[in-house]
Amino acid sequence: MNMIEFRNVSKVYEDKTVALRNINIGIKKGEFVFLVGPSGSGKSTIIKLLIREIPVTSGSIFIAGRNVCNLKYSRVPQLRRNIGSVFQDFKLLPNKTVFENVAFALEVIGRPGYVIKLQVPQVLKLVGLEHKMKSYPHQLSAGEQQRVSIARAFVNRPPILLADEPTGNLDPVNSEGIMKLLSRINLIGTTVAMATHDRNIVNSMRRRVIELEEGEVIRDQKRGVYGS
Amino acid sequence: MIFRPKYFFGETFSGLRRNFLMFFTAISTVAITLFMVGFFLIIVYDVQAILASVKSQVEVAVYLKDNATQEFKDYLEQEIKSWEEVSEVVFVSKEQALEKFKRDNEGSEILKEIQGNPLPASFEIKLQSPEKVEQIALRFLTKDGTYIDGVDEVIYGQNYVQKLFSITAIAGSIAFLIIIMLLLAAIVLIYNTIRLSIHARRKEIEVMKLVGATNWFVRIPFLFEGFFEGVAGSSISVIMLFFMSNYLLIRGEKAIIDTLRVKELAILGSSNVILYIYAGIIVLGGLIGLLSSSFALKRYIRV
Ligand SMILES: Nc1ncnc2c1ncn2[C@@H]1O[C@H](COP(=O)(O)OP(=O)(O)O)[C@@H](O)[C@H]1O
Ligand SMILES: [Mg+2]
Repeated sequence: MNMIEFRNVSKVYEDKTVALRNINIGIKKGEFVFLVGPSGSGKSTIIKLLIREIPVTSGSIFIAGRNVCNLKYSRVPQLRRNIGSVFQDFKLLPNKTVFENVAFALEVIGRPGYVIKLQVPQVLKLVGLEHKMKSYPHQLSAGEQQRVSIARAFVNRPPILLADEPTGNLDPVNSEGIMKLLSRINLIGTTVAMATHDRNIVNSMRRRVIELEEGEVIRDQKRGVYGS
Repeated sequence: MIFRPKYFFGETFSGLRRNFLMFFTAISTVAITLFMVGFFLIIVYDVQAILASVKSQVEVAVYLKDNATQEFKDYLEQEIKSWEEVSEVVFVSKEQALEKFKRDNEGSEILKEIQGNPLPASFEIKLQSPEKVEQIALRFLTKDGTYIDGVDEVIYGQNYVQKLFSITAIAGSIAFLIIIMLLLAAIVLIYNTIRLSIHARRKEIEVMKLVGATNWFVRIPFLFEGFFEGVAGSSISVIMLFFMSNYLLIRGEKAIIDTLRVKELAILGSSNVILYIYAGIIVLGGLIGLLSSSFALKRYIRV
């Protein structure tokens, strides 16, 4: 069974921009997938549809076999608890420490204190930042900040992790670190989908590549590279 | 949803601590605007009380001719009593009028010059609705504009009564407008301050939504905060009003009581209007704070 499945999905924004045309994608549990394509090809739109930040125009999206397009508004938080998401701009809260930023994700979904005390140090260890728990985001490098945001996305152990250009603001060395981290998270069994237009990263990883162009899938390759 | 007071209060107060400037701005906005509202309420209430008391003193005095018969007096009294605009009719006989005149002018030279009893008997009519005074007075006139037989003269302050009524009507609507405008200004100002302080924390809201916090979980700390700011601000305005009333306005009211004999004033009146104003302002503050946060959140929550 597919963990993520798009069936004939189209997305037209309010201003009539056609962002996706009749997309069909199936991503299996535990897979690592790159979404590639030039800027404006529809990568971010796919991510936004998955976390129900925006509604589909037509077609349906299944997550773990469940159609999430007709999900009631009150069920959306539950969906998001099962999908970690990471962005180019980290979205960290500047006035909270590393620990607090990660703990915040558990607090706001009502997890009790002992779970927070247990899981936050664990996940910070996983991303290699256990020694920076008391630092504030502005005291960290961009690479470290992205690790914190990955820790926050993953602290609740979601089965799916989505990353929208997570290395977009990072230099090659830091990017490589982030890719190692995402691979490790994938190895634990997490389904990972990452949107990027970083040619080198895609080529060095040799994972499945789905290429988009003007909202259409033009290539879906098992151990692909960027651009054919 | 699990209610977690520690999180909600913690989040509310750590929010307050971190956004001290926003918090301070919101509270002082509430305090100042509601102080203005309260201050005007007291003033307007007192002005209305004075006008109402002046209005209630409007009377029609019907002076009778000395040759008016007892039957005529009885008939007239019954007739006047049957008018529904009338609240009270008192017959003042010639003797009573003289006595009152003597009392009012004790020790004066005039008394020595009075021979016999030159004062007429009269009916003093108090009105249920003072606005009708002119209509009442007209009932003592015949078609050709002379007084009916037995009546010598009808006096009701012909010139000033109509002016008084138009003044009270205008003053009433101006006061109402001022209060409404102040209230609107207060609501707009408070709403905007709270909206700004929520705007300053939109990133927090975005992250909360992203990791799957329910709407209520996002909303509650902000609602707490808005409510708290409203109640704190309005409490401060009540404290300011309290000192204002007890050290300043109360002197004005004492003067009004001494000179105009008006009783039902906001601070010194027997019905404790001032306490209702205080309570109303605190309730209003809490309500505006709560509703402002709730409306301001709408824009940020639906993501
Ligand atoms: N909120 C929006 N309203 C209107 N058009 C949008 C919106 N977001 C994205 N688009 C348009 O949809 C297309 C796909 O955008 P996007 O998914 O962000 O592409 P990518 O992430 O691959 O750069 C682009 O043409 C973009 O201009
Ligand atoms: Mg994008």
